[in-house]
Amino acid sequence: MATTQETKPDLVTLTIDGKSARVPKGTLVIEAARQVGVMVPHFCYHPKLTPDANCRMCLVEIEKMPRLQTSCSTPVAEGMVVKSAKSDQVEAARKSVLDFILANHPLDCPVCDQGGRCDLQDFSHEYTATKSQFQELKRVFQKEYFSPLIETQMNRCVQCLRCVRYCDQVMDVKALAPVGRGTLTEIKAFGTHELDCEFCGGCVQICPVGAITSRMSMYEFRPWMLKRADSICGYCGDGCQITYQTKNNSLIEVSSTHGSGRNNGDLCARGYFGYHVSEHPERIQTPLIRQGETFQPAIWEEALEQVGQTLLAIKQQHGPDAIAGLITGRCTNEDLYVFQKFMRGVVGTNQIDSSVRYGHLNGVRALQRVQGTHRWTVSFDDIVEADVLLLVGTNVTETNPITGLKIKEAVKRKGAKLITIEALQPAVGTISNIVNLAHHHFGVRADGFQGAVLALMKSVLETRGMAEDVKASATAYGNDLMAQLSGLAWSRLENRTGYSLSDYGHAASTFCQGKKVVILVGQDVLRASGGYGMTMNLLDLLLLTGKLSNPGCGVAPLAEENNDQGAFEMGAVSDVLPGGFSIDHAESRTAVSKHWGRSIPDSSGGALPQFLERMQSGAIKALLVVGENPLGSLPPVSGIEQALEGLQLLVCQELFMTETARKAHVVLPVCSSAEKEGTFTNTEGHVQAVRKAVEPVGDGRPDWEIFSALSIIMGDSMEYGDVKEIGKEIRNVLPGIRPLGPTPIPSKPDAMVVCGYVGGEYRRDLDSRYRLIDEQPDFSDELLVSLRQSLFHSGKFSLKADGLLKVESEGKLYVHPDEAARRNIGEGDQVDLCNDRGTIRAKVGLRERIPMGMAVFPEHFDQEMRGLLSYAVDPETQVPYYKLAQARIVKV
Amino acid sequence: MAQYEKILLKNMEQPGYSGSLKEYEQAGGYQALKKVLKDFSPDAVIDAVKKSGLRGRGGAGFPTGVKWGFIPKDHPGPKYLCCNADESEPGTFKDRQLMERDPHQMLEGMVITCFAIGAETAYIYIRGEFRLGAQILWRALDEAKAAGYVGENLLGSGKTINIYVHQGAGAYICGEETALLESLEGKRGMPRFKPPFPATHGLYQKPTVVNNVETMANIPHIINNGAEWFASIGSPPKSTGTRVFCLSGHVKRPGNYEVPMGIPFREFIYDLGGGMRSDKPLKGFIPGGASAPFLKPEHLDVKMDFESVALAGSMLGSGGVTVMEEGTSMVWAALRLMEFFYHESCGKCTPCREGSSWLVQTLQRIWQKKGRQGDIELLEELCGNIAGRTVCAFGEAEVGPVLSTIKHWRHEYEALIQEAQVALPPNKELPVFSH
Repeated sequence: MATTQETKPDLVTLTIDGKSARVPKGTLVIEAARQVGVMVPHFCYHPKLTPDANCRMCLVEIEKMPRLQTSCSTPVAEGMVVKSAKSDQVEAARKSVLDFILANHPLDCPVCDQGGRCDLQDFSHEYTATKSQFQELKRVFQKEYFSPLIETQMNRCVQCLRCVRYCDQVMDVKALAPVGRGTLTEIKAFGTHELDCEFCGGCVQICPVGAITSRMSMYEFRPWMLKRADSICGYCGDGCQITYQTKNNSLIEVSSTHGSGRNNGDLCARGYFGYHVSEHPERIQTPLIRQGETFQPAIWEEALEQVGQTLLAIKQQHGPDAIAGLITGRCTNEDLYVFQKFMRGVVGTNQIDSSVRYGHLNGVRALQRVQGTHRWTVSFDDIVEADVLLLVGTNVTETNPITGLKIKEAVKRKGAKLITIEALQPAVGTISNIVNLAHHHFGVRADGFQGAVLALMKSVLETRGMAEDVKASATAYGNDLMAQLSGLAWSRLENRTGYSLSDYGHAASTFCQGKKVVILVGQDVLRASGGYGMTMNLLDLLLLTGKLSNPGCGVAPLAEENNDQGAFEMGAVSDVLPGGFSIDHAESRTAVSKHWGRSIPDSSGGALPQFLERMQSGAIKALLVVGENPLGSLPPVSGIEQALEGLQLLVCQELFMTETARKAHVVLPVCSSAEKEGTFTNTEGHVQAVRKAVEPVGDGRPDWEIFSALSIIMGDSMEYGDVKEIGKEIRNVLPGIRPLGPTPIPSKPDAMVVCGYVGGEYRRDLDSRYRLIDEQPDFSDELLVSLRQSLFHSGKFSLKADGLLKVESEGKLYVHPDEAARRNIGEGDQVDLCNDRGTIRAKVGLRERIPMGMAVFPEHFDQEMRGLLSYAVDPETQVPYYKLAQARIVKV
Repeated sequence: MAQYEKILLKNMEQPGYSGSLKEYEQAGGYQALKKVLKDFSPDAVIDAVKKSGLRGRGGAGFPTGVKWGFIPKDHPGPKYLCCNADESEPGTFKDRQLMERDPHQMLEGMVITCFAIGAETAYIYIRGEFRLGAQILWRALDEAKAAGYVGENLLGSGKTINIYVHQGAGAYICGEETALLESLEGKRGMPRFKPPFPATHGLYQKPTVVNNVETMANIPHIINNGAEWFASIGSPPKSTGTRVFCLSGHVKRPGNYEVPMGIPFREFIYDLGGGMRSDKPLKGFIPGGASAPFLKPEHLDVKMDFESVALAGSMLGSGGVTVMEEGTSMVWAALRLMEFFYHESCGKCTPCREGSSWLVQTLQRIWQKKGRQGDIELLEELCGNIAGRTVCAFGEAEVGPVLSTIKHWRHEYEALIQEAQVALPPNKELPVFSH
């Protein structure tokens, strides 16, 4: 359900097997039948795909039509009389179609993983005689090893082409193709190589038979042995609903269901093949206490006692602000909430931060400042229904693949116009490239988004002017912004971005025609210098064109980690209280402390960059790290190593021994998201239930239990019986936070806040936001290296996922083939990357989508690469920027 | 022997006629186009073609003017004409001659058609094996463009009509109009389900007319001589004009013959074709390409027009008449045709894909004297389960030869199966089937 008002569609009445159905015009007969409980058997039809009518299984009799019709391709008509199960002719036709399909089917159900959930098996039981008339030899295909993750058994294929169509229509990947003719048609990779694609697993899931199955769980189970738990994927901020399928407390596979979850049954490689992390043999099993250079296993009581007593001692000796805490946005809302409550209420410091600080905060802060809500004012459904989409630095397929699918659906199916400002070039590749679908594409380097954003704004306002109501009610605001934009010379913008006035003009005119405009802002913007300012500018753009408050319009910053949004909302940020209120807001502070029965310190505490400094200066003595790995993610130039060395107490709550955990004094084992209950809040602000699928590995405990236990030791008990109790408390403190059912209702801009913003608040940093960032000197032999998320990984966490490592197990420095050729470098060559910070060695990969002058390195494999990175902190939001490096590339 | 006035083959039968633009113009070529641009509105052209009674020469025989009339007049954006030159029906070779020997005749027809339906772009989808034809068409197009008959600002009229030649890659199914469109779009050549029809959702989902080469070649003559003239030829009112019939098989003079529609098969086979090759009696014949069911000697007096052939239980189809003499095994003939259809089934829909393989294996077995009791009934049942349940007309086409040979020569099947029963102990040997 989109948030905008929809006109009621015309309804049509028809009869199906004697039952009367009233459905919207244009509905297919097969769907109308489903609605009145008549199940029409089918193989090739799938509601996600355009009908192909090739399997002929769904033939029905329709009065006044000359022959049997395929119900999957026939739209309903007024007064239509359809006979499905009640027609002998139909029954005979279905039987004959099955006879045909089974003619060449091997009937190897006993060794087929699909056995027990196979459409062909089910329909055969229902329609065919037990003895086939087919007494010839069956067709046999050569076995082909398709890929390390996906198994094909083409003898079982019914040639329904669902996989091929899914790969093309939904994923826009086109990795699969039917090869050969007639009965010899088999599904193969497009081209004579092993399958090389996004590995979304969609073909496995959509195959109605056992022709395409997952190699990750081959021969390990029968569907009826599996215990199911519907939960939420723990990788990116899209918050896809997945179903863990387990056997004897072991994860066998993950699946998703059409029609449920924000992903509507679609998944990406991480979601579908990345579930093995939880069962990795390197999981930490027991608490560990440092003894000199090594760790000794300990029992919980011992470890907690040591942590609790040390914290207490430090607090008494140096005050609460000698203790700081850092938590990951991968934790549940309940973990995050209890963490900040523990730090604020029990320890007594606001010195806390979370991974939202790495970039998502830029987006959330901008939203909060302009429109008074920290959530999107749009939902995924609005993306699908939008008529104009503007993507800025999203790299969406890699970072938020399912948001990417919504964009693809909007553009490919619904005819939305797509404008992209991305550090990508249109090029066909094995991973879908969103800019290939763009109507107007501005390809810029990863440090050049600002020029293009300002140029587009300038063009929009110069050609169309601002909206009338802005002109009337916010004259000064409008004039000031116009003045800022007028101050930017076209010649400079053209030079900077490489696109002309008329290029921007065309895009601007498309933008202005949009009634439902969604602007998506991604990691490339939010995690790079100027990210906050650019998000503000894009909000200005919607304000000036009068779209900000329109339903279906909004700016949507994309969260990288699954619960970044939740981390902000739960207040796991130094200057933010639960609910996103500012710590400086005395009323909110009082309200929350009343709920807690504890006082909340009023100093703003300081963000991650500040506590790095305070750790180095020795002011901070103890650091609690929950699922974060600052040593593994921040560059050396940030001083993280020295900062950690001076600590009296470093506690890590972790699944694995990370770089940071190796430096810890105490390491506490925790539960993975498959092992605990709680909720995640996805990037669109939808709170969804996480359910336990397997028992924890070893002695692992949920994070909140650890804080709760520590509070008891520290003599200020904060006890909870279970997650539900925490949830209840969160809902008391924040009435708006609760699982919302299948569809979220997006927030609305707060008119008061918008009014305040245009009334003068905007002036605070106007000049800096609209000043073109000084151009980086462009040395022709240097490349701009951008650390970026790969589609197959998420943070460092997924490096423990077997399936994902089979697709991508090493980091390569990806450059454009021409860029490589210019330097006489080929695929797989070793190169040295050097700048004044150091030199590192990397293997080169060629990708046509990477712009000239740039190189991309997957951040998951970046340990050495960090040595080259620059580091800067945003003055407004304290976000540390460290994803870019300028470096020379030398062939070894 | 009666002499008939030729229309389509008239030019090329002149000694020394090369099909060049100059010679075509000398023979009165492109006068029709000039006339249309000067005196006709698009609707007037469509009306003339409707009145002429011209029906599609590709196989289905759909009235051409009516097809053009389905193109939405006020459609914004492009419309297309596709000339179906993917002539692949076994026993049919008329389009090849029309293209290679007098290319401008069809080009002129195409330009006029584009004018009538409001298309600015036309494609000739030519069978991949017709390398020579494609070269000739390219050359002819160059000539026509240079002379202003094709291209921008057509003969100074301000109209733009471009024609492109696209070579197929060797699939029979691409002669099916929607598979042709898929292939032309660069996709795998497989038929689309209909509706929607190409008239509204054709090439690139735009309104599109798909017409056969011979259909196109007729258009200039209708314009030059008038619809009434055309409608008076042949066997009006349903089958007007001439047709270029292709004669092959056990006859003395195989080849293309242009005759008015409605002459009896006897005259065509015995007078024009010179009768049977070795003077054995005729055993059976296919009246309209491999998809058309067989007819028997008793049908020799059936008139060669759409209705009469349909009444006799077959179809005039693509106009390819294949004749078989006494002594031919009709089981073998059916198998041979079925092998073709099995090889060409695109595999899109289940009944055709699986049915063609099943049919060919069963026929092979019978022919190899390994047939079983009940095989004939099995063949009939399979055919019944294919026809009418497929995406395109291929399903009907492939069962035609099987069903008609069983109908007319059932005893030949029975004899082979009987022999197998004697020769083979039951259930001992499985047939060997190779793909």
